[in-house]
Amino acid sequence: MPSAVLEAEGLTKRYGGVEALRGANFQVFAGEVVALIGDNGAGKSTLVKCLSGAEQPDGGRILLDGQVVRMTSPIEARRLGVETVYQDLAVAPDLDPAANLFLGRELFRHGIAGRLGMLDRKAMKSQAAEHFARLGVVLPRADVPIGTLSGGQRQTVAVARSVMWASKVVFMDEPTAALGVVQRERVLDVIRRVRDQGIAVVLISHNMPEVLSVADRIEVLRLGKRVARLASDATLEQLVGAMTGALNTEDDAA
Amino acid sequence: MSVAETIEIPERTRWQRISGVSTLWIGVVLVLLYAGFSIWKPNAFPTRFTLQTLLIETSVLLVLSIGMTFVIITSGIDLSVGMVLIFAGVVGSKTMEWLSPGGDASHAGWGIIAIGLVVSIAGGGLWGLINGVLVARAKIPPLIVTLGSFGAALGAAQLITGGVDTRTVPDNLRNSLGFGTLLGGVPDLVVVALVVTLFGAWLLHTTRFGRYTYAIGSNAEAARRSGIGVTRHLILVYLMTGLLAGLAGFMNLAYFGTTTIAGHGTDNLDAIAGVVIGGTSLFGGAGTVVGTVIGVFIPSVLRKGFVIAGVPVFWQPIAVSIVLVAAVWFDQARRKARDRK
Amino acid sequence: MAVRPAGPERRQLTQKVRAEMRTVNRAAVIVGVVVTAAAVLAGCGGKVGSSGSINTKNLVLIPGVANEPFYISMQCGAQDEAKKLGYSLNTQAPTQFDASLQTPIVTGVIATKPGAILIAPTHATAMAAPIKQAKDAGIKIIEVDTALDDQSIALSSISSDNVKGGQLAAQTLAKLVGDKGSMLVINTKAGTSTTDQRAQGFADELKNHPGMSSLGVQYNNNDAATAASIVTATLSAHPDLAGIFATNLSSAEGAATGLRDAGKLGQVKIVGFDASPQQVQDLKSGVIQALIAQDPATIGVDGVDQAAAALTGKPVTRHIQTDMVSMTQADMDANSKYFYKSKC
Repeated sequence: MPSAVLEAEGLTKRYGGVEALRGANFQVFAGEVVALIGDNGAGKSTLVKCLSGAEQPDGGRILLDGQVVRMTSPIEARRLGVETVYQDLAVAPDLDPAANLFLGRELFRHGIAGRLGMLDRKAMKSQAAEHFARLGVVLPRADVPIGTLSGGQRQTVAVARSVMWASKVVFMDEPTAALGVVQRERVLDVIRRVRDQGIAVVLISHNMPEVLSVADRIEVLRLGKRVARLASDATLEQLVGAMTGALNTEDDAA
Repeated sequence: MSVAETIEIPERTRWQRISGVSTLWIGVVLVLLYAGFSIWKPNAFPTRFTLQTLLIETSVLLVLSIGMTFVIITSGIDLSVGMVLIFAGVVGSKTMEWLSPGGDASHAGWGIIAIGLVVSIAGGGLWGLINGVLVARAKIPPLIVTLGSFGAALGAAQLITGGVDTRTVPDNLRNSLGFGTLLGGVPDLVVVALVVTLFGAWLLHTTRFGRYTYAIGSNAEAARRSGIGVTRHLILVYLMTGLLAGLAGFMNLAYFGTTTIAGHGTDNLDAIAGVVIGGTSLFGGAGTVVGTVIGVFIPSVLRKGFVIAGVPVFWQPIAVSIVLVAAVWFDQARRKARDRK
Repeated sequence: MAVRPAGPERRQLTQKVRAEMRTVNRAAVIVGVVVTAAAVLAGCGGKVGSSGSINTKNLVLIPGVANEPFYISMQCGAQDEAKKLGYSLNTQAPTQFDASLQTPIVTGVIATKPGAILIAPTHATAMAAPIKQAKDAGIKIIEVDTALDDQSIALSSISSDNVKGGQLAAQTLAKLVGDKGSMLVINTKAGTSTTDQRAQGFADELKNHPGMSSLGVQYNNNDAATAASIVTATLSAHPDLAGIFATNLSSAEGAATGLRDAGKLGQVKIVGFDASPQQVQDLKSGVIQALIAQDPATIGVDGVDQAAAALTGKPVTRHIQTDMVSMTQADMDANSKYFYKSKC
């Protein structure tokens, strides 16, 4: 069995008196979409924060490609190839899509102009166009501030940005929560394309139909521990059962 | 399964990027004002003298407004610019007097003048740095921070001078920067303002520094998550504004031949008005240097036109306020259209 | 189920609209630039401004600041005199007593080429250059109220004898406080010739009154609120404060407010300068004990007379000093002609 790209072993995390994670396990493999689901308070966001560098776990190990890692910040995590797309549209509304794509990693012109800090807009625009095409991101206009585009279009750009830079794992935290049906489909399409590029995608969602439609595997978290691992042919009853504790297919030992 | 299409993303020309539609409209307003006053007072308004004095009298404010543009694009504000200008003029002129025999700087040479310039700019930069650190590191709202430095800079200037303006300014400085002209009649003050404007436009519209300025004003959290050093960038923006206010202080010194401590009380609001009329949004993320230039000249042209036409002085602030409110209203309408889901 | 993006036809239309908008934008910008350039060049084509007809029947009054009864009284006097002599008088005042605000007014007025400018310079040195520009353009310069350090520019300078006014204030205050106690002077903006002279005259006269001591001069930057806080602060530091000399309107109004806040109204004697409607009211109600009034209307009249003399080639008097009068609550009605107006 191929080893997981990102794996959590027995993570524990405490916030004051609250134990958010009590020995949580998690795995995601390359080229798959794993949905991480669980009821409110199950520890999903804490788990994601620990795995993406926003928080540090109190105990347990995180393995990236089989090696133990400590990700001290999201920037550090990004450096290791772990990216996150947040629910609140984390794009700069006044910049155009290409500018958002390259935010923080702009291309400079050659020669002295570049050394002075001048940007190579043409190159960024054309590379952005290629990248969008590869991922099926469709925009009516690309030279306008991204804020004028619909929420779905903005989110597809955010997703595209997360995989622009040779990532290994992308976390998508409720990426379609704020979107309408049609826009949601568009974003899910792009997520599928991302998976097809060989990247490991972790999808956190409350939307069961969406989970069943796009996920290859589903991992269920409850009370800070993994309680079930299900395949994409799971039923809604199984999902809900696992979330509420009626179904528990995991061992208690890690 | 969606079909992959090749999307060419058309490159907007530099002109389009720099101008943009709202800038066009205020440009039209400026042209109409100029034309209107020329028709109303054809013997007095459309003359070279009026144009020259208009440019000279707006140069110092323009230099302040370039810095203010950057600050407002980051959705900040800087109320201290007028007093930092005064402080810079004070430390510059005091230095020149101190270096001159008998404390009389009237006959100071270029070396002393150069030192005075450096001290002025550094003096402005000092306040810019204070502003930037308090805003970016201590996370105090810019309105409060710069309100504080507004008072503190003036207080410092009054402490240093005892409230009395400098009496001796180098003649060489006054005759060159203050009243000299280049290239057959373009005043040195205007040349300096033009160079600052061009630099500001280059920095804002072609460099990464400019793009980060827009990004931080548009969504500081997104910028931070993208790895942009938001704190460092904000400090640099306020520092730049302070340095420009320092330069403006030196220009003011050259032009008036004294420090004018009692004045410049409304420079901050004039600069903000100019920047906002020019299409920069107070909420951050949008704005152009061309817009600022036009926005700074609209009140100037209005005031000068009113003086020449003999309109009672009280109409002038009313007229300027109408233009300002109209500009903000237009920006709001634009934003509403933009933010439709 | 993937949603199909826009069909090929629609895409083409969008691209066409995009291209059209680009062209329209580009055209609009070019038109704007061309029109602006034309307007500016039209400006450049004009004459430098020194030759060209000066209208010798036009006079312009540039006071130090708008909205001050002192300058308004001056304006009224000047307007009446101008009408009598057959001149037209226009008034343009800066919104604040600030050289960077008065300068564009001076250069703007130069463009209208009046015969003479009556001006109260807001800064003794900073205003020299723009006013000299007016002189070089052939316009006669008459100084009213304040004056430049450089004496070579104006043809005539008319003001109150401010030094004498300060002395008069000291004498009046001495009578009010019984010749003993500490005195505070509240001045406006440092570097203003008129108020500095008043403070000087006061200090000189105070030397003749050994029972009175001076707490020095404080500046309120022509802001009444600042004057009020200066007074309350001084009272805390020096409870033996017996008298205040306020060198101008804002100082007097602020000082009265400060005393009222401290509950010392009437106990600490104020001698104010200038007789604005508010100060006249204060004098009547006993808030201030005495006023030194200038005669701004006569300054205005004299200004116009000197301008007319200069324009018609008659001899001009270089320095004219107008009356100052001291009035208390008792004799104020007799001196009502010295009250300042808030409109003509």
